[in-house]
Amino acid sequence: MANLRIEHLNKRYGATKVLNDINLNIEDGEFVVLVGPSGCGKSTLLRMIAGLDGASGGDIHIAGKLVNALAPAERGIAMVFQSYALYPHMNVRKNMTFGLKFTGVPPTERERRVAEAARMLRLEELLDRYPRDLSGGQRQRVAIGRAIVREPAVFLFDEPLSNLDAALRVSTRVEIANLHRMLKSTIVYVTHDQVEAMTLADRIVVMNRGCIEQVGRPLDLYYAPANLFVAGFIGSPAMNFFEAKVERVESGCARVAGAGFRSFELSAPSLEVGDLLTVGVRPEHLGRGADGPFAVEGVVELVERLGESSFAYLRRADNRLFVAEVRGRQTPTPGERATLVAGARDVHVFDASGLRVSTQNEA
Amino acid sequence: MPEPVSNIISQMPRLRLAALLLFFLGPALAVYSLFSIYPLVATMALSTYTSDPSGARHFIGIANFQALLGDALWSKPFWNAFRNNLIFFAVHMCVQNPIGIALAGLLSLPGLRLKGFYRTVMFLPTMLSVVIVGFSWNLILSPLWGVAAGALKTVCLGSLFAPWLGLESSALVTLSLISVWQFVGIPMMLIYAALLNIPDELIDAARVDGLGHFRIFLHIKLPLVLPTISLVSILTFVANFNAFDLIYSVKGALAGPNFATDILGTFFYRTFFGNQLQLGNPTMGAAVATIMFFIILVGLCLYLVLVQRRIRRYAF
Repeated sequence: MANLRIEHLNKRYGATKVLNDINLNIEDGEFVVLVGPSGCGKSTLLRMIAGLDGASGGDIHIAGKLVNALAPAERGIAMVFQSYALYPHMNVRKNMTFGLKFTGVPPTERERRVAEAARMLRLEELLDRYPRDLSGGQRQRVAIGRAIVREPAVFLFDEPLSNLDAALRVSTRVEIANLHRMLKSTIVYVTHDQVEAMTLADRIVVMNRGCIEQVGRPLDLYYAPANLFVAGFIGSPAMNFFEAKVERVESGCARVAGAGFRSFELSAPSLEVGDLLTVGVRPEHLGRGADGPFAVEGVVELVERLGESSFAYLRRADNRLFVAEVRGRQTPTPGERATLVAGARDVHVFDASGLRVSTQNEA
Repeated sequence: MPEPVSNIISQMPRLRLAALLLFFLGPALAVYSLFSIYPLVATMALSTYTSDPSGARHFIGIANFQALLGDALWSKPFWNAFRNNLIFFAVHMCVQNPIGIALAGLLSLPGLRLKGFYRTVMFLPTMLSVVIVGFSWNLILSPLWGVAAGALKTVCLGSLFAPWLGLESSALVTLSLISVWQFVGIPMMLIYAALLNIPDELIDAARVDGLGHFRIFLHIKLPLVLPTISLVSILTFVANFNAFDLIYSVKGALAGPNFATDILGTFFYRTFFGNQLQLGNPTMGAAVATIMFFIILVGLCLYLVLVQRRIRRYAF
């Protein structure tokens, strides 16, 4: 049980900057998910917290203690790897107790911890088996068990579900969430899967090109992305973006116009005439019957049917595609012309540098 | 899904199948039979004959083997060569392979600089001709003009020097160590390759578990490369009991001093081809070759039964 504080952390390989001035505070018991596209530095950040990679600059504090110079085993962390990294020549019991032997945990205590973890993870029957005799899901549970018996201050998960099939991924996700509820420990979890991030996290850290783009609760990221990158990264299918321009401003009210959609009024005091903007609307917020200031017209080109809803790809006036989610049984047909509308709360506006423009609509 | 091959084969006409088998297996079988199986069988057959002074050959059954193993004239040099060969093998197992493993372990350490340089330097002797190696070491260790005595003197160990290659007590071990020096690159490379196969995450997991580099090597890496180590051992065994060239190039066919470095290879050479006053005896030579074949065969069988079956290969 511990908090984790990262200050001005940098990582360079030669001239390439992998991590750039990372600052992050993780509270005791918090479940934080690092998410971002591949190569954004999230795994590197996790490995640096673990002590597997050294930092080029900056500090890491675990439970109030500066751990920069400490070996992984001395940091009070446990790590679950993407490939599980079980020792293939040891059975499950030995896999779990192996590390404890070297950190001076007496045998009776080792046994107690293994029994406890095995009960929690339903591993009792598997204790004498070897990793090669286990299924992917079982191996994953053993890897988690090996982390639990260390009784760490902070759990580190490096894309733990990416080697599992889809069904198992969902059930293991639930198990990890349950585990966090039971253990109440601090968890840092790396994934590129935003569904995992949204469902598991107390807070999500969105990373891109070695920088933190936004830190926030899952729904805050979804409803109020701080910039274009987060807006495009969170949510699936990705948010539709429309280029726009401020046509005129009257008493704090801006008229926004652009190709392909009907111009609308926006109460954003910071805007000035001529400002270039990007307007973003999520596919799930575009509806036929809805009422709102934002309206876009297009011709349905392609429909993906998922069952509970369909994704319609529409071509708008400026010849670009956008996506709308259509709920219910009635699916649009290709060739159909449709006007889709989004409510004021669901229209995100970003300025020329990609930052969110605060509007009074969202209050 | 494509049809399983076994189905295709079972539906094929007999004649066509036979033609197909002959087409694919025939060439390899012919070459292998002609150059490997036939010489082996012919050698075994020859070992059951003896030739009289006129040159005519007579079948004598296992008499050659009885003489080789029991008649003092033959059995003394045979058992001497066999014992020397065992020592030769033991030195390789106890020196060459542990050093090879250690070097591979060092090479696989993360963050080691000049890795490629060390690897090349340590593998270089393996690529040299045995004749050059034998000749060079003969010169280096020579008490008359060798550099070994002088080199030892400069580090104040001059008193340790002895004409190692010329003493009955040390000649065999010295030769074995020369061979170790030359071939240590092979176990090193094989084990190094196996170590590279171990996934990085496994090593990371061990680091998180609190193990240092040495313990990681001992508890994680070494057990995982055991299959390769056992392969290296059996390769060493076969190579050592077939060895001949180094002894011949350093000591000649007489394997002196006083047969102290005589191994089965050199013993076979003298028996088969003759040397100085000893006349060549092809039938007895064939018997020596047959025994060498069986020694290696028995060694391999023991290895397969006792070691190979118990070793598990790990898929990562």
